[in-house]
Amino acid sequence: MQRYTLNGRNKHVEDFQVRDNLIATLKNRFTTYGYKQVRTKAFENYEMYSNITGTVKKDDMIKVIDTTGKILVLRPDVTIPITRMMAAVNQANNTFWQRLFYVMDVFRQSQEMPNQKESTQAGVEFFGENTPEEDAEIIMLAIHTLKDLGFKNFKIEIGHAGFFKELIQQAELSEQDLGQLQALIQSKNIADMELFLEGMAIEEELKKAIQSIPLLYGDPLQVIQQAEKIIRSAHMQHVLQNLIDVFALIKDYGVEDYVAINLGLINNMNYYTGIIFQGFVDRIGQPVLMGGRYDHLGKQLDSVMPAIGFAFEVDLLIQAILEQRLAKAPKALVDTVIYYTKEKQREALTAAFELRNKGYQVLSFRNDPSNRNPISSNSIIRFEKEQNLFSNEQIKQTFSKADELVTLLQAHKEGF
Amino acid sequence: MQPITLALAKGRPAKSTIALLEKTDVQFNDFHEDSRKLVFYNSDRSIKLLFVKAIDVPTYVEKGAADIGIVGKDNILESKADVYELLDLKIGKCKFAVAGKKNYTPEKGQLLTIATKYPAIAQKHFDKKGEAIEIVKLNGSVELAPLIGLADLIVDIVETGNTLKENGLTVLENIEPISTRLIVNKASFATKSTEVQQFISQLKSALEG
Repeated sequence: MQRYTLNGRNKHVEDFQVRDNLIATLKNRFTTYGYKQVRTKAFENYEMYSNITGTVKKDDMIKVIDTTGKILVLRPDVTIPITRMMAAVNQANNTFWQRLFYVMDVFRQSQEMPNQKESTQAGVEFFGENTPEEDAEIIMLAIHTLKDLGFKNFKIEIGHAGFFKELIQQAELSEQDLGQLQALIQSKNIADMELFLEGMAIEEELKKAIQSIPLLYGDPLQVIQQAEKIIRSAHMQHVLQNLIDVFALIKDYGVEDYVAINLGLINNMNYYTGIIFQGFVDRIGQPVLMGGRYDHLGKQLDSVMPAIGFAFEVDLLIQAILEQRLAKAPKALVDTVIYYTKEKQREALTAAFELRNKGYQVLSFRNDPSNRNPISSNSIIRFEKEQNLFSNEQIKQTFSKADELVTLLQAHKEGF
Repeated sequence: MQPITLALAKGRPAKSTIALLEKTDVQFNDFHEDSRKLVFYNSDRSIKLLFVKAIDVPTYVEKGAADIGIVGKDNILESKADVYELLDLKIGKCKFAVAGKKNYTPEKGQLLTIATKYPAIAQKHFDKKGEAIEIVKLNGSVELAPLIGLADLIVDIVETGNTLKENGLTVLENIEPISTRLIVNKASFATKSTEVQQFISQLKSALEG
């Protein structure tokens, strides 16, 4: 059996087909929302990644030293180079508006998963304005794409970087305590959170507000109502209004059943500035997509560029599709196989050329190789001494000229 | 309703958890302690129960092989799994502690050697204190290590302290209390929200009742 290697694992040719079809579906959907594909370099400047607050830890990057002694990294993320690219364009042009997408491999290393250093991301970046309309449209795009892929049961969790950040500022925690609190919130560990907060010099009402963050999860309208009770500043009110506006738009897109609010979603808080979201599908423990609004990234590159984006983890999507058996049954290896005898060689090869020219997948063999493994095909064409024969599962029919073949193939293409 | 998969740590916590579940009218009819079966269903087959080794429970849940797991905090800490930890079942209570020979005092500037079954927890504890340590990972009878000079101290689970006492050791420092926890896969929490939440609230009321 033919095998190739993907991310260090052996997979079959059919799996590559699944991958290829999946990427085609993603690209097609991104395109219908007006996104244009771009690519960035595989070797990037280490300083660019280490100087900018992003979503990649320095230790996770795979570094390379070139002959001049310069440190390079294998592209650990795509958003930063794309933003830098756009920041360079934006300096010449102030009114900026751009929708971009990419399908690229990213490279990271971690102690937990030493054998998994590369993964494919398919993502979109929308440089425009910070409006609820943009936020909702990009969440809609994520939902639309997951529907395209055939997922029935999936959820997009929406949170907001600003809500928790504001509470934390009021609590004035040390960096170490903040890290611990964030971990407790991210694991919704209410029991240990109570113990942790008990010893802190924080006023009671604020403690209660912080404690309720992990519980602010679920049906958007209910969660928003609960969240209103712990609002402690105008900014928090503003954040909540943002969520209300986005949800109203999502409702008008008619996809409110696919979203839940999760105000305990606080990963990469220093990077995201507004809406944060992640998507889950059945049977996959990690988010298959992650994204959010990152208006400050442009500023770090000396260019004011409000932006929002997300990326699918393509390898996780493939895993999900295979596990949920959403991929179509693999097609036959080729459309048709031609077997011919020596005296019909010219006729057969001409027919093969004509059919390939029309876009059919054709294999041709001299003589019937009965000793070889049979080749799976939708039809078989035989050029024999006495007759020319076309056959498939439904019919068996003789023909005299090669142009009749196109008609035969077309007539019986349906149903395969 | 979609069925949910529950991973339960074999051993002592399993028994008390099953008893707790029975209070919520979740019955596993063919379950008994000596059974070698690893998979059980409740009467209406809405819950699939997996029996796995305690240390593997967080892995099952993190990877989504189980939606919910019930396991000791010690194993959750050691595995560093990225899961929700939603409920303290308040059973199987014990603690992580640093233990050593009575009257043990380290020499100044000495690099401590710690024997433990839980290297991640030991490392985290001493990192927090800013002390450099060397870890010897053992898989059992950790109490032996200080006695024969393999290590200066141990980090282990302490329940009654009897094992320590019998070996001439004593608790020198408490690290963290431990009890049995309910953990949930993050994707299941999103995609099977109703089922998961219902299970949790049932268990919660059984705990209180």
